[in-house]
Amino acid sequence: MIPLGDILLYATLVLSVIALIGLLLKDFKNIEYLTKLVTPAIIIGAGLLISAFILLTYYFVTGNYAYDYVWQYSSRDLPVIYKISGTWAGQPGTYLLWVLVIYLSAAWLAWTTKHSTALSRRTQIITLLSGIYLVILTLIQTPFKLILDRPDVIDMIAKGQLAADFLPADGNGLNALLVNFWMIVHPPLMFIGYATMTIPFAAAIVYLVTKADGWEELGRQWARFTWLFLGMGIAVGGVWAYLVLGWGGFWAWDPVETASFIPWLTLTGFLHAAALHRKDKSTFSIAAPILAAVSFILVLYAAIVVRSGLFNSVHAFGDTSTGTLLIIFIAIIAIVSIVLGMRRYLEEPDKVEEDRGFWNKTNIFYVSLLLFVVLAFISFWGITFPAFIQLTQGLKVGVASDTKNFFNLWSYPFTIILLLALGFCLNYNEKNKEEQKKTLFIVIGLTIVTMFLRTENFYVLDHSSPFWVREPAIYKLIGNISVVSLFPSMIYAAWSTIQRLLDYLRIKSIRPRIKGIGIAIVHFGMILILFGAVISANFTQSIEGGSIPLASKGEIVSLGQGGYAAKIINFSTGSLAESAPAAGIRISEINNNPADYVNNDVKVTGKIVDFINVPTPPTNTTYIKIDDGTGNLWIATQADQPLNIQNGIEITANGLMVANFKSNTTGTTYDLIIFTTPDAITQAAPSGNYNVQSVQLEIYNGNNMIGSGTAQYLDSKTGSGTFPMVHSSITGTDVYVIFQGLSGGSVPLTLKIIPGVNFAWVGIIFFAIGIILIMAVRSKS
Amino acid sequence: MRTKKLVSILVLALIIAFAYFSYTTALSNFTLSDKNNSYLGGIKFHRAAAGLEDGFQIAQQENKPVMVYFWAIWCQYCARFQTDTLGNPEVKNILENDYVLVAMDLDIDREVAQQYGVSYPPYLVFMDPKGNVLQRVPGAVGPDYLLPIVTQVREQVRGK
Repeated sequence: MIPLGDILLYATLVLSVIALIGLLLKDFKNIEYLTKLVTPAIIIGAGLLISAFILLTYYFVTGNYAYDYVWQYSSRDLPVIYKISGTWAGQPGTYLLWVLVIYLSAAWLAWTTKHSTALSRRTQIITLLSGIYLVILTLIQTPFKLILDRPDVIDMIAKGQLAADFLPADGNGLNALLVNFWMIVHPPLMFIGYATMTIPFAAAIVYLVTKADGWEELGRQWARFTWLFLGMGIAVGGVWAYLVLGWGGFWAWDPVETASFIPWLTLTGFLHAAALHRKDKSTFSIAAPILAAVSFILVLYAAIVVRSGLFNSVHAFGDTSTGTLLIIFIAIIAIVSIVLGMRRYLEEPDKVEEDRGFWNKTNIFYVSLLLFVVLAFISFWGITFPAFIQLTQGLKVGVASDTKNFFNLWSYPFTIILLLALGFCLNYNEKNKEEQKKTLFIVIGLTIVTMFLRTENFYVLDHSSPFWVREPAIYKLIGNISVVSLFPSMIYAAWSTIQRLLDYLRIKSIRPRIKGIGIAIVHFGMILILFGAVISANFTQSIEGGSIPLASKGEIVSLGQGGYAAKIINFSTGSLAESAPAAGIRISEINNNPADYVNNDVKVTGKIVDFINVPTPPTNTTYIKIDDGTGNLWIATQADQPLNIQNGIEITANGLMVANFKSNTTGTTYDLIIFTTPDAITQAAPSGNYNVQSVQLEIYNGNNMIGSGTAQYLDSKTGSGTFPMVHSSITGTDVYVIFQGLSGGSVPLTLKIIPGVNFAWVGIIFFAIGIILIMAVRSKS
Repeated sequence: MRTKKLVSILVLALIIAFAYFSYTTALSNFTLSDKNNSYLGGIKFHRAAAGLEDGFQIAQQENKPVMVYFWAIWCQYCARFQTDTLGNPEVKNILENDYVLVAMDLDIDREVAQQYGVSYPPYLVFMDPKGNVLQRVPGAVGPDYLLPIVTQVREQVRGK
């Protein structure tokens, strides 16, 4: 029997094929036979995909572990919100989300244009072709696969190890790293970005084939939308890395974040090309559509990188079996784009135009486009060639002694040129050209001079790194450039942006004004992000390997050198689930029916709320009061040494229960008490799948408290995650503490003092506001 | 049009040169495939899933603890962790003499990683010869932090 979800996908496929045939008939033979069906078919198809997605979410929320995907990425004790986000935790679910968004955009295209123009019909044809291809991919790796269809389950049933109607009682659980707010948001943003890339691509291909007018308006508006979502997806990924992974930074050139960054760069190039192309159709008539096509190809490439084993990174939570099909898809599109681009290039008449010299806006824009392509290529090459070498030669290579060196090093000079181009272009004015050229040359001069500045350690490559002496010559050469050289061009770009903003503010008519403000804000945001990245990457102070014994709670304990210290305010353990079943008997049950338990072996679990150590030579006796939320109970044990325990720790104890015990040493009479041995007291076995250790801290520099907060460590059978304490201050310097889980009665801490990160966050907000302002103003075509 | 063409060709040449240069530099300077079993820290490890089995056998014969190091090619923290922490003379001395060392590549030995609940590198798992996990050290910790653990686990296994 085919699962309901798959039936919905098959139905979408049938409807898409009908719509596609309808469009093709209309376009090539002018047969209107199926034309009326096209729009409804696409909209119903989108509706079916929405239903399929809701159905999958429903399976997740209700914990329907008959489905393999649900079983793999969820479990009963997860809070509802994470059950929902489990829907997009793995590849099958993200594919479904991807096709869903493609069909939503197709439906939007159908609804708004009614396929009345050739451009809209042809764009729809390409969109549908991409959609159909991805629906097939989704079906091959369907999220609706039954657990009974898993090869290992089939095998175990055949061997009689499992019943024929096997249904798991609980799921495998969500990876601990995914259990946080940012991961609820990150994948949808990302995949909405991926999916909405389809329409600019389709429009560009149509333009390359037919030279259709109006493609750039359609493509541009969607590309901005993609740019926003992709950009925000990448940004949220950075926030996740910073706040959850404990990277101590928001960007680490991880293969996957880099892979998403590449299409974003080429898309940036496309938006710039399209801006001029719109004003003069002969400008960038090939560059613009090719950049749109390249961005789409790179989105597919990113999809491969995200889930394939070759580019293992923090994102590799699952294997892929559809990677080959994606590669074929990429190959087809790449060949089609190249052929069409070449054809257009050869057809293009050689323009005879007056020579305006090198220094004109089109040329500087063109240089910027090339810079975006170069930066994209550096990133692309850096993640690709090690995989290529591994595939072809079976050798593992690094791109540099430290991965980030490669990207930082090569991108650095081009980033400076890009900033210079930005400064020049934003302030470009035909009349004042000579004066502006002078300014530009002064800035270039300053940049070159500052490259040679010697500082303590503010270079493109870290001179204090153990690798520095062993770097190849050219790496040393570029690595020796002082990062101070970034600032002249950065200040120049910022100054130009502000000048431009002031110009825009003076514009009377409202639309160009809002759009201009948007443009200025976006560029300013980018400069801020870059500034934040450079400052935080270069000036982070890291104090590693600090460890504070739990016993010294409440005392200020020094952390390494540098005068930093920390104080543990509180330590506690818990579970993500609210009602995790505890080992043993509920304390309320014991207190209500003591007769059933007295003089019997009893096992209880609870958090330590109080304890007394009394010397009872030759040993020590420890009285521990535990609370399991239903009531409390005393436990007594004897050991050679006082027990090293802390309030807040959850323990499980097993021993003989005694009634009305009067202690001579403490003078207390205990109504009920369990006598046990130290061996029979254990730190509570994980009661749920997700155990959280929280340590509340205050961080000191000398005698001043510089930060406070809670650092957490989440442990589960599917991995562990650190949730660092991040204390931001208005000065922009974060106090950042990573807690790696209780170890031998001590709290291991890594302290980082990170400056400048706030600039990046503000920059991201600027970026989003700016592009939304630009999108809000639809320019007249 | 001509300036554009010229600039394009220049940039294309630059890109090709860069691609070729970085490719060959990586092959000559940054090879991570270590046929000699020597990682950046200069420590010899047993490798891969088979290495783990061997490791336990040796550990049982010599009554040594086993340290499994989970690393990955793309992990930039690992590089420094290997030179600074594992390569720290004191730590290295204890590891080489009193431990059976196994390295697991997270890209290749995924099942082992899953078995021990390791999801990111660098990650150390300390075990007794029977395979019971005694300590876990996630993340790129410093030598000051690792040294007491290395000593403690050794004493724990010797004491048994």
